[in-house]
Amino acid sequence: MAQFQHPFQCLRYVARQPAGLSDVFIGSAGKNIYVYAAASGQRLDVWPQNVDTSAEKTDAASTTQDQCPPEKRRKISPGSEEQKNGESKQALSPTWSNIPIVVTSSDGKYVVAVTAEDKSVRVFSLGEDSQMQQLSSRVLPKRPSALVLTHDDQTIVCADKFGDAYSFPLIPSGEYIKDHAQVKPYQPAATSLTVHTKRNLESLEQQLRQAELSKRAEEKPALNFEHQAILGHVSLLTDLISVTLPAGSPSSRARSYILTADRDEHIRVSRGVPQAHVIEQYCLGHTSFISKLCVPSWAPQKLISGGGDNFLLLWNWIEGQALQTVPLADASQTSEVSVHDIWDISLIPSAGATEPVRVILVGLEGYVSVVDQKYVSASNGENRSSQLLCYTLDNESLNLQDTIQLSGNVLDVVGIDSRGLILVSVDTVREPDSTHSWKSAPSSPQTLLESFRVNLGPDSLKWVPVEDSMAVKINAEGTASFPTILEEKLKREFDDALYSLGNLRKKKGEE
Amino acid sequence: MATPPPSKRQKREEYRRKIQSEHGTSVKMPQKKFFRQRAHANPFSDHQLDYPLSPAHMDWSLHYPAFVNPNPSATNLAGARKLVKDVEVVDIGCGFGGLMVGLAPLLPETLMVGEYIVSRHLHISEYKNAKGRTTGMEIRTQVLEYLHSRIQALRTQQQNLKQKASNPQDTAEASTQSKDTNEPAAAAASALEDNKNTENNDDEPALTTIMPGNYENITAIRSNTMKFLPNFFGRHQLSKIFICFPDPHFKARKHKARIISESLNAEYAYVLRPSGLLYTITDVEEYHHWILRHFHFQSDDEAEAQSTGQTVSSHAPGIKDLWERVSDAELEADPCVRVMKFETEESKKVSRNNGNKYVAVFRRKADPEWPA
Repeated sequence: MAQFQHPFQCLRYVARQPAGLSDVFIGSAGKNIYVYAAASGQRLDVWPQNVDTSAEKTDAASTTQDQCPPEKRRKISPGSEEQKNGESKQALSPTWSNIPIVVTSSDGKYVVAVTAEDKSVRVFSLGEDSQMQQLSSRVLPKRPSALVLTHDDQTIVCADKFGDAYSFPLIPSGEYIKDHAQVKPYQPAATSLTVHTKRNLESLEQQLRQAELSKRAEEKPALNFEHQAILGHVSLLTDLISVTLPAGSPSSRARSYILTADRDEHIRVSRGVPQAHVIEQYCLGHTSFISKLCVPSWAPQKLISGGGDNFLLLWNWIEGQALQTVPLADASQTSEVSVHDIWDISLIPSAGATEPVRVILVGLEGYVSVVDQKYVSASNGENRSSQLLCYTLDNESLNLQDTIQLSGNVLDVVGIDSRGLILVSVDTVREPDSTHSWKSAPSSPQTLLESFRVNLGPDSLKWVPVEDSMAVKINAEGTASFPTILEEKLKREFDDALYSLGNLRKKKGEE
Repeated sequence: MATPPPSKRQKREEYRRKIQSEHGTSVKMPQKKFFRQRAHANPFSDHQLDYPLSPAHMDWSLHYPAFVNPNPSATNLAGARKLVKDVEVVDIGCGFGGLMVGLAPLLPETLMVGEYIVSRHLHISEYKNAKGRTTGMEIRTQVLEYLHSRIQALRTQQQNLKQKASNPQDTAEASTQSKDTNEPAAAAASALEDNKNTENNDDEPALTTIMPGNYENITAIRSNTMKFLPNFFGRHQLSKIFICFPDPHFKARKHKARIISESLNAEYAYVLRPSGLLYTITDVEEYHHWILRHFHFQSDDEAEAQSTGQTVSSHAPGIKDLWERVSDAELEADPCVRVMKFETEESKKVSRNNGNKYVAVFRRKADPEWPA
């Protein structure tokens, strides 16, 4: 029976330093992280190793075309690893269904991933042999919604759905002694001086009696690793980025900032750790939740933000000044558009050009309910989630250049500088432009990755599909598969893993 | 069959309709008993709140008609008339507005706004929670309606008094009043007297003296400060923030809803100008220590001896470098502290019940140097 394959949720291209090591390509799909040789597209490692049975079947099937058998992947003896982590790769049975965030250090030596359901931030070393080895796993109180590494690769900063942001070292120093919260005898904070009504006084008495009887010994769940709470919003944090502005004058040092976005339309500009409590600015202008922040690597003073409203905003973020409102959909359009992600892509100059190609790509998440299904076909020519919008950034404005049409919803984009192309991860499971309606059967062959090259015209730029051997190989090999027919509940979970923005929208008339 | 007597709710509605219809003409103070409101609101939920897109979109002109910029072409980003000066003082959780009414004559040239999400906590002990019924818009806006009526009544009273005073044929009483206006402190003091006399009365009598500022400088908004403070006030805009008798959220798992926390202190520092003051007062000793702890003026260990609250799992380093605690001697001399301690409705209630009042005031320091 034909089976769906997990699309890539997160793509990373790792240009490895020191030179001499070949580059690798990392993608998370379903509950796994895959490592590929960038040159050939050959799969080098899968984490975790014991994937579910259906996936193993495909693994076994794929090894026939694969030169190296899967056994070769495991180089470190499980025993030594067990001592190190207290859990081995083998013993690990995944308790998560997806890996929404994968980040790599700038030297390519470390990979940080967030596993969704168990709220864990996992740090891996990416060895010279391209094997991923888990170094640490730290459980946060709430699921991280965004995670970055600071400029120096030393510190992880992550934001969670409760509105708090934490920082902790990439590599734990190991000196942290768990702060065993002393079990204190319970004592109500209210006293007969603060409580007056008869009923409240009675219940206070009851509490005091209760406190006498049972010295409650509840240990509160604390973060049991070295960390710092650096800032908080009273809202759901949706994105967090770390920006370093180069020194303005020889006397001043480079300044680092943390930008956080929340569900209540705020973008907060704070100083970097350890001064994140100093708020420098708010960028206020969105009218719905914010889902993504993007500061282009080549223009660090600019910020592009998008979310649940029908426009992008371009900011001079240090001044909190909105420079441009970029419409994403017709004002008349009734369907709700959300910005899925914003990518800044910089590619080395192609032949004949001197300037690098620098573009902003925007992926959308359209919410088309079953009732509105007819709208999908009607929305011809409008912006949809199976399209990538391509903008160039001038001094003060974003200019729409081209729209790339994909075979399915856009999930992630990565630019491969050395080859002058972009790879786009495409949703193979759902119908294009729908986040909920599944294809009845997988298309054959399943295209997980599409690749495009830029074609520079005299005054415009166009993206043209190209064949990239790595993408072809990865597509042929596929990822873990799952049946086409699933329970509704399971389907819903799969959908929410990839498309959760709709839940951020405030319901009208709700208290 | 005889019709049953009108229910409390009916009476409330009737009363409030009457007040509404008399808006701007009535000098009678509204009666609090017709504006009861449930004690708690969840600061984390999406209440149907109106908040401006940014401080430059806030229309203050209706709130402070006496301070509207005479130039009609001076408008803000939302097209509303600008004021001649910015709002500078905020009372977070203003309840029925006692603090602002007390402060208005003391700072007659300063624009003040009271913010509330609900009225004040009802001193609910930890296990029993007020299960107030929430039924739509009406109930939630009751406090705001009361406040607007109260402020409007105060302003109208003052206007009438002024008219009387400017009328030479008026009684000798009027002349003493106009003398009073030359001595704002005296007027304020006499207002204090007035309030003391009515300490046990829920509903204040009409004022008979002209107060400096004529209550044109106070207003109230309904908002959720924890979320939307930066939508109303810009960087370094405020000179004073008051947080009086905040909801203590006794239950440990409700502590996250407290209005004082390290992350919120960073926001208060953003809207307060350097040397601006943040005033806090509470009758719950444990909360007082919580406040000190979250401004880092008390370590966890110190606090542990006195408090039973959960310890803060970890601190943002250096929130303390934005704040310094104001000395007791300085507080003695600050008339605002006196108003906060004795003139808010809640402080009167605490006094009646012989409760304690714990005051802590923090001064906003200048931003620290960027790390070298």
